[in-house]
Amino acid sequence: MKSNNIKYTFIATIVITLFTSITMLAQKFDASNYNMMFNFKTAKQHDNTRLLEVSYIARNNEDSKDEMPVLDAEVKFYNILNEKEILIGSAKTTKDGIAKFIVPADFSYLAAADGFINITAKYVGSDVLSEESEELLFKDLQLQLELTEVEGVRMIKGKAFVLNNAGEELPVEADLYFYAGGMLTKMKIEDGIVEEGALEYEFEYSSNLPGTVDGNITFYITVEDHDEFGNVTQKQTINWGTPNPQIAESNKLWSEVAPIWMYVVLTILIVGVWANFIYTGINLFIIRKEGKLLEEKSKRR
Amino acid sequence: MNIKERKKALVKEFSPMLEGTSLISKIWIGSLVVIVLLGIYAFFLQLFNGHEVTGMRDNVVWGIFIVNFIFFVCLSYSGAFISGILHFFKTPWKNAIGRIVEMITVLSLIIGPIFILLCIGRLDRLHYLFMYPRIQSPITWDIIAIMTDLVACILYLYLTFIPDFAILRDNSNELKVPTWQKKMYKFLALGYQDTKEQSRRLHKITQIMSVMVIVLAIVAYSVLAWIFSLTLQPGWNSTIFAPYFIIAGLFSGVAVIIITMYLVRRFFKLENYIRRMHFVVGGIIMLVMALLYGYFTFSDYFAKWFSHKIGDMNLLDTLFSRYFWLFIFANYFGILVPIVILYFKRFRKVRYITLAAVIAIVGIWFNRYLIVVPTLETPFIPIQDTRPEFIHYTATWVEWAMSAAGVAGFLLLFTLIAKFVPIISMSSIVEYESAPKKVKRHIKKITE
Repeated sequence: MKSNNIKYTFIATIVITLFTSITMLAQKFDASNYNMMFNFKTAKQHDNTRLLEVSYIARNNEDSKDEMPVLDAEVKFYNILNEKEILIGSAKTTKDGIAKFIVPADFSYLAAADGFINITAKYVGSDVLSEESEELLFKDLQLQLELTEVEGVRMIKGKAFVLNNAGEELPVEADLYFYAGGMLTKMKIEDGIVEEGALEYEFEYSSNLPGTVDGNITFYITVEDHDEFGNVTQKQTINWGTPNPQIAESNKLWSEVAPIWMYVVLTILIVGVWANFIYTGINLFIIRKEGKLLEEKSKRR
Repeated sequence: MNIKERKKALVKEFSPMLEGTSLISKIWIGSLVVIVLLGIYAFFLQLFNGHEVTGMRDNVVWGIFIVNFIFFVCLSYSGAFISGILHFFKTPWKNAIGRIVEMITVLSLIIGPIFILLCIGRLDRLHYLFMYPRIQSPITWDIIAIMTDLVACILYLYLTFIPDFAILRDNSNELKVPTWQKKMYKFLALGYQDTKEQSRRLHKITQIMSVMVIVLAIVAYSVLAWIFSLTLQPGWNSTIFAPYFIIAGLFSGVAVIIITMYLVRRFFKLENYIRRMHFVVGGIIMLVMALLYGYFTFSDYFAKWFSHKIGDMNLLDTLFSRYFWLFIFANYFGILVPIVILYFKRFRKVRYITLAAVIAIVGIWFNRYLIVVPTLETPFIPIQDTRPEFIHYTATWVEWAMSAAGVAGFLLLFTLIAKFVPIISMSSIVEYESAPKKVKRHIKKITE
């Protein structure tokens, strides 16, 4: 009786274990357990448009690996100057918690007297989530990339400046990074500084990168994480590549004619085997002949 | 020992197998004929309506026909391999099981290729394979290899039959069989009188042929494996497929031999000839093959899993979801259970060894199914807006009917041959008994 009790308890434990899942204890999402991360960044792109991007993610206070992106939250982007507030546009967060909006190149920003532009990203909140907002202050940097070739010498020139209200080019201080585009990532080829009134940084391009099959290379100039300008990119494509010669390997096995070795090996194999069949046949014939002779002999006797 | 008298006695002993047909035999043969006829009906349905009547579609172009083809052909090659080894090393066990192995070899090689023909959508264009062969294609190699192997196996089987035909011819007066059967014995015996010269000649060509069938089995089975492994399909593109197929073939071959031995022993009451020792030796060989087969299976799937290639991962997902139980049976139950049964001495009894063989056979067939179908259901290129029946394969009754007909055909031919020639080689028994005592003692020592 006692052993039966132990047996049934053991079976019951196994059954309960099998039908129980950790997720049964999972609770409904409670925002108070999470720290909301509302991060706003911007980058000026090569076509002079500006990318505004908000990342909205909830991170568990106790387990930093437990992150939950906020889905479908409408983020509005404003250009603010003093009391004036212009709505640039809005975007909803994706399943990764990212809301993106691209400001057209010809958009007229409201800028302060010192040239700083204020862009603010706002989320109005919901029943569960509270209101969020973050502002960015930056100057609209003009970045230019010029590629020239004079008597076989290839020069790459980067120009960085800001425009004042009169449209005049004002020098800035910034680190410039030059890259050559690749299939997957960009490769840095040079970095330089524009400072002390200089608008440009120039260097000679002497590498022999292959580029695309047509010999095209895309060069990039960037300003990265600058305190005043943020991220700015510009690019140009030019036929400066020295493509590697493409050697098309013909597939021997599926070519129209099979390789000679295949004919030789298979012929030897097949001929060898069938020759043995014939040899066996001849031997059987001899056996039969001898048998006939023996039969005739015994008949004669 | 008077050889003539001994031969006479053996013919008398085995004559019940050849004479008349019992009611059970008639029912058995009748049932097999019905199944074969049903298969023929299904074949004509497929011939007139096309592959629409089967479960094969654009995506899964191979189904259980190719599984049966691999299964039977692998049975044949392993049979040829085992038979060649038995003959070449003059193993005494060949007296009892040699003929069974040879018959399995030839019959499965006759039945197997029929299934590959059933995979062809346009059978009316079959002759194109011979008119416009591509020597670069493994399929062409396979046709050449199978045809050559079939000739070799039939020839080999015939060579081993000749001395028995001669015994039956010389003692036909003792047999109550139709005249045409006696005439056939005379014709097929080829005037063999067991003279020194005839015996030497026959032994020589049988010996050469036994080596050849071993080599041919390895070559032909490797080529069959290459049909799969030379493609880039996930699950097939594997460098170990050829040796894996050979090991799997030997595993299933030994298993089928054990099952056949069990059935023949019971049906013909041949306990004196097919003894427990044959089962134990067969079981130990099967145990070694099971260990090797398990190792190869593990290596193959482990490499697929570890590489984390998208195609392979998709295939493993399919295997562990849609085919979960089939996968568990084929690759765990079908390997581990025979190993457990055969490993422990106390389980090495005729019934248990046969049970292990049955489990192994079912497992191997499922393994073949898992090699063919899930791969075709997991293509490289994602398919959109396609009907589920184009992606997933389920065999129809037409395919099952033809598969059953193949098995029934195999059993029917085996039964008919067993009614024509004794299932135990009489000439081998005579040869063994007339061997010098020293040799016999040596053989006894080995077998014990």
